[in-house]
Amino acid sequence: MALKLDQSEFEITRNDEKCIHCEVCVRQCSNDSHQFDADESAVSSKSENCVGCHRCESLCPTGALKISKKEPEFKENYNWSAAHLKNIYKQSDSGGVILTGMGSDKPHTVYWDHLLFNAAQVTNPSIDPLREPMEIKTFIGRKPDKIEMEKKNGDFVLKTKIAPQLELSTPILFSAMSYGSISLNACKSLAVAASSFGTFYNTGEGGLHRDLYQYAGNTIVQVASGRFGVDREYLAKAAAVEIKIGQGAKPGIGGHLPGEKVTDDISSTRMIPEGTDAISPAPHHDIYSIEDLAQLIFALKEATDYAKPVGVKVSAVHNIAPIASGIVRAGADYIAIDGFRGGTGAAPQVIRDNVGIPIELALTAVDQRLREEGIRHRASIIVAGSVRSSSDVIKAIALGADAVYIATAALVSLGCHLCQKCYTGRCNWGIATQDPYLTKRLNPEIGLKRLTGLLRAWSLEIKEMLGGAGINAIESLRGNREHLRGVNLSDRELKILGIKHAGESW
Amino acid sequence: MKRIHINEQYCIGCRLCEIYCQVKHSKSKKIIKAFKEEASDMMSRVLVEEIGSNSFAIQCRHCIDAPCADACISGAMTRNDNTGVVNCDEEKCVGCWSCIMVCPYGVIKRDVKARRAASKCDLCIDEEVPVCVANCPNEALKFCEDKNE
Amino acid sequence: MSENVINPKEIKSGYLIIGNSTAGLAAAASIRKIDGQGSITILTNESHSNYSKPLITYYLAGMLGLDKVFFKDSSFYRKNNIRLVCNANVYDVDPAKHEVTADTGKNEPSVFSYYKLLIANGGRPAIPSIKVTELSGKMSELSELMTASKDIKSVKKPGIKKINGVFTLTTLDDAISVKKYIADNKISSASILGGGLIGLKAAEAFLELGIKINIIEFSPRILSASFDESASDIITGKIQDSGSNVLTNSTIENIFVDDSLNISGYQLRSGKKVPCTLLVIAVGVSPATSMLGRGKDILKIDSGITVNEYMQTSEPDIYAAGDIVNSFDKLSLKSKNIAIWPLAVKQGSIAGTNMAGGRQKYGGGFFMNSVEILGVPVISIGLSSAQDNEAENIKTYKNYNSQKNIYRKIVVKDNKVVGAILAGSIERAGIYAGLISNEVDITDIKDNIAKEDFGIIQLPAGYRKHLVVGDGIEV
Repeated sequence: MALKLDQSEFEITRNDEKCIHCEVCVRQCSNDSHQFDADESAVSSKSENCVGCHRCESLCPTGALKISKKEPEFKENYNWSAAHLKNIYKQSDSGGVILTGMGSDKPHTVYWDHLLFNAAQVTNPSIDPLREPMEIKTFIGRKPDKIEMEKKNGDFVLKTKIAPQLELSTPILFSAMSYGSISLNACKSLAVAASSFGTFYNTGEGGLHRDLYQYAGNTIVQVASGRFGVDREYLAKAAAVEIKIGQGAKPGIGGHLPGEKVTDDISSTRMIPEGTDAISPAPHHDIYSIEDLAQLIFALKEATDYAKPVGVKVSAVHNIAPIASGIVRAGADYIAIDGFRGGTGAAPQVIRDNVGIPIELALTAVDQRLREEGIRHRASIIVAGSVRSSSDVIKAIALGADAVYIATAALVSLGCHLCQKCYTGRCNWGIATQDPYLTKRLNPEIGLKRLTGLLRAWSLEIKEMLGGAGINAIESLRGNREHLRGVNLSDRELKILGIKHAGESW
Repeated sequence: MKRIHINEQYCIGCRLCEIYCQVKHSKSKKIIKAFKEEASDMMSRVLVEEIGSNSFAIQCRHCIDAPCADACISGAMTRNDNTGVVNCDEEKCVGCWSCIMVCPYGVIKRDVKARRAASKCDLCIDEEVPVCVANCPNEALKFCEDKNE
Repeated sequence: MSENVINPKEIKSGYLIIGNSTAGLAAAASIRKIDGQGSITILTNESHSNYSKPLITYYLAGMLGLDKVFFKDSSFYRKNNIRLVCNANVYDVDPAKHEVTADTGKNEPSVFSYYKLLIANGGRPAIPSIKVTELSGKMSELSELMTASKDIKSVKKPGIKKINGVFTLTTLDDAISVKKYIADNKISSASILGGGLIGLKAAEAFLELGIKINIIEFSPRILSASFDESASDIITGKIQDSGSNVLTNSTIENIFVDDSLNISGYQLRSGKKVPCTLLVIAVGVSPATSMLGRGKDILKIDSGITVNEYMQTSEPDIYAAGDIVNSFDKLSLKSKNIAIWPLAVKQGSIAGTNMAGGRQKYGGGFFMNSVEILGVPVISIGLSSAQDNEAENIKTYKNYNSQKNIYRKIVVKDNKVVGAILAGSIERAGIYAGLISNEVDITDIKDNIAKEDFGIIQLPAGYRKHLVVGDGIEV
C-alpha cells in the first residue's frame, strides 16, 4: 500500500498576467519545479519539489512568481507538530537517517537576542567613529605571560619573544567550509575576500585546492579526523593550522561526503580516490586523550617550525569549560568553539537539533574558566555557531571572545536562502553543489564584492557601537561583561552568562 | 571604445540577455506588453549558445575591419569611426544576406517578420550600458574598454 | 590640349581609376586615408554617379527606387576630393607613357596622364552564339544585334540595328530598360538564358514582380558551379511549384523576331519552340579587358588581369582590382577570376593603399554567394558543389530536414572546411566562411559540423577564445 502524502512545504504562485513564458525559471530550477509545455507554449509549475530557495523568484524578469509557505494541513496539535509527523512518514518510507543542511532552526532561546549593549551617556562621552580613530584590529594567538623590555641603543625594545599571531583587520573570520560541501567558486570567493579585506578563511576538511594557493597567506588549514589533503605543502603554505575535533552542527560525529560528489578535482584536492565516499571518522583515531591532542599540536608545530599558530576547533558541549582548559594547557594557540546552531552541508537532523549547547553560554563558561585558572591569555577564543549580525559580534566579544567565525552569514551574503537542502547537491545558487551547470552561478568576482561588502558593513557597525559605548579599541570590550545587560532571562541564565539584568546597575 | 566582453565561465544560460534585447528593440519597450503583443515579431540580437553546462551569449563584435560592411551591397551596413559601432540601416537593407554569409561569429540574423532586413546588435547606443550587459545576473557580459585598441 | 590632361604639377601624385563601382571607390577611399593631397580621378563609361551593381535586380523588382541604388553617399566624391568623369569610354592604356585614352563624347579623344593607375572596370556580359531568324527568313548572329557586345565606336555608328526584348542585365541602364519594357509591354512572363548568379538574381526579381519565368540552363542543374544537386532541387522545386519552369540540359539555338526585330519566341536545342516576349541573356560575365587597347598586349592577362599580392599588375604603376582580375583563390591555391562584391571591396581597398605608398598584402579569397528565391534563402561558400572523394580526402557532411525543407552540406578536405551550402535556413552561415578562411582543423567536431545547432561553442577552445573576447577580426 503506497501512502501518497503531499509533503511539499512551499507553494509556487504564478501571476499569469505577468508571466511572459520566457522559461528562465524552468532553466534555473534544479528541482524541476517549472516546466515548459511546447504544445501550449506556456510555463507551468509543480509545487511538490519546491524547496523554497527563491532562485526563480529572484530571476523572474517580471516578478510573476511568488514562493510562499504552505501551511501543513494536519489537525492542530501542539505536541504532535507537523514536523514530527512528516519525519516519521519519511523514516518509515526510507528506513534511513533524515539528513538536513545548515544550522538548527528549532525555537530554542537565542541568547544574542536577549542581550543588550550599553551606550555612553553623561558619565563618559561617546566617540564619533567617523572622526576618531577606532581600533578593531585583532590578534589571534598565544599572548605572553609577561612583557619584558630591554634597552638597546638608547631605545626600549621588546625582549620577550611573542608567539606567532594572525593579524586580522576586523574581529571576523570565515569559518570552515570544505571544498566538496561547497563549490570551488564559493571557496574562491571566500579566499579572495579574506585576502582583500585582511582577514582569514578556513579550508575545512576539504584540503587546499591548487587554484587557492595564491591566497595561502590568508588561509587557515584544517587537520580533521580524515586528514584530507594534509601533506607537507598544505602545512607549509598555510597561515595557521587548525585541528578539528568537532563542529557545532553535529557534535560527536564525523563528516560524510557521498562518493557521487567526489569528482576528479575533489579527489585530487582531498587526496582520495575518485568516486569513493569521503568519510571523516568521529574521533581522530590517534587522539584518545588530552595528551594525544597535545602530541598532535606539538607535532604540527614542529612540522611548521613553530612559525604559525596551531588551534583546535571543538563543538560546544556540556562540559566545554574543562575541555577548553585542557586544550589550552595542551598548547593550542587558539580555541575555536562552534555552538549548537552552527551550520553544515549535511548532518542527521536529530543530532543537529538536539545535541550541543548554544555558543553564548559555552563562550561565557570557557572565558570564565580560563580566567579563573589564570590561563586566559594563553589562547585566543574564536566563536562560531550562528553569528548573524554585527551586534552578535559585539556581544560575543563582550562575553569574552577574541573574534568570531562566520559561515552561514557568508553564504547568505553569496545568495543562500537557507532552504536547508545542501545535502542534495542541487543548490540553485551555486554554493553547495559540484554540478558545473550550477556552480557557474556563483561568479567569484561578484562573491568577492558581496563578502567584502558584508565585512565592511559589519566592521563599520561595530565601530559605531563601540563609539557609542565610549570605547575606541576593541581590546577594551573584550570580556567586558559590564557592557551587557540581559532581558527576559532567568536568574540562572544571568548567572551563567555573568551579566546583570537590564535595569540593574552598579 | 567600449565593447561587450564575454566571460564564458560565468554564463549561467538563463537567457535574460535575449529577453531584454527583444524588449529593447520592441515597439512598446515594456517587457510584459512586448511579450504579450509582439512575441512573434521580436528577434533577439544577442544569441546564447549552450552545450551541456557550457554556455555564453554572443552578439556583434563591432569589428574594426568589419567583413559585413565590406560585403554589404547597399551601403546599409557601415561602421561609424567615431562611436566604433557597426550599424545596419534597416531602411537601406534589401535583405540580400551577404552579411550573414561573411560574419564569422554568425551573429547577424535574417529578419523576415516585421520587415525584410538583416538584424544585429547595435550596442544599444542610446543607453549607458547595453541592456544585455545591464541585465546579466552573473556579470558574464561586461561593457568595458578593449585592451587591444 | 584637352582639359583632361593633368597639369604637370599633378603628374607625380595623380591617381587615375578606371571604373566607378565598389573596387574603384574602395581604392579611392583608401588612397585618401593616406594621401590627402594627390588628385584622384575616376573614369566611368556610365552616366550614373555611383550605384551598386548587385542592387539593380532589387530595383528591377520594385524593392527600391532609383534614389536608393547608390551605396555611397552623394557627398562621397566631394568629401574625398575626387573628380568623377562620366560617359568616358576608355579604349587605350599606354603603360610606357603613363597615359589612358578615352572617348568622352568630344570630337577629339581625351588623354589622361597618371602617376598610378587602377583598372577596376569589372566585367562584361558574354553573348553566346545564337542565330536570330527574322520573319522573312533572314538570319543574323545575336552578337551583331546586341549593344552589350559592341565597343563604343560601333555603337555610335549610325544605322546600327538592335534587337528588342532581349537584354543582358549587368548595368543600371539595363535594369531601367527592362523595367520600362515590362511596363510598356505589360509583360507577364519572361525567359532567362542561364541559371547562374545573374540569371537567378534576375529570376528573383521577376518572381517578386509576379512574372512567370522559364530558366534555361545548359548544365544538369542551376548554379551548377556552387549548388549541389540537393540545393538545386530545393530551389528548382520551389520555382516549379509556383508555376514557373526550370529547364536543365538545355539551351537556345534560335531566336525568332518579327521584321522590327522584336522577339517573338525561341527554339530550344530539343527542337521545342517557345513563345517569348522578354529574354534575359545571363550566360556569364568575363573581364572587360578589350578596352585596354595597347595595354592588352603589354599587361599580363589570363582572361582576367594578373596581379601580385599587392594588387599590382605586371606594370609596376598599374594596379587592378575587382571583377577584372585573377586573384589568389585560397581554396584552389591558384589565381582565379572570382567576381564577387566582398572581394572587390577588399582588393580595391588594398590596391588603393598600395598605390598611395602602403604595403598591404591581399591574403586571397574564395567564392561565395547569397540568393533568395520565393522565400527560400540559399548561401553557398567555397567548394560547395564538391562530393565525397576519398582520393582527395574530401568528405561531405549532410543534413536534410524534409519537414522544414532545410538542407545543409559541409565539404571537408584534409579535416578543414572548404565548402558549405545552406538552403532554407541560412542562420550563422558565416561561421563556415570563418572556418574556411582561418583554416581551422575540425577533426574533433566534424560529427556536429552540419547540424542545425552547430555554433561557435563547438569550435576548438583556442579559436573560440580568440573570437569571444571582443577582438575585431583580421581579414
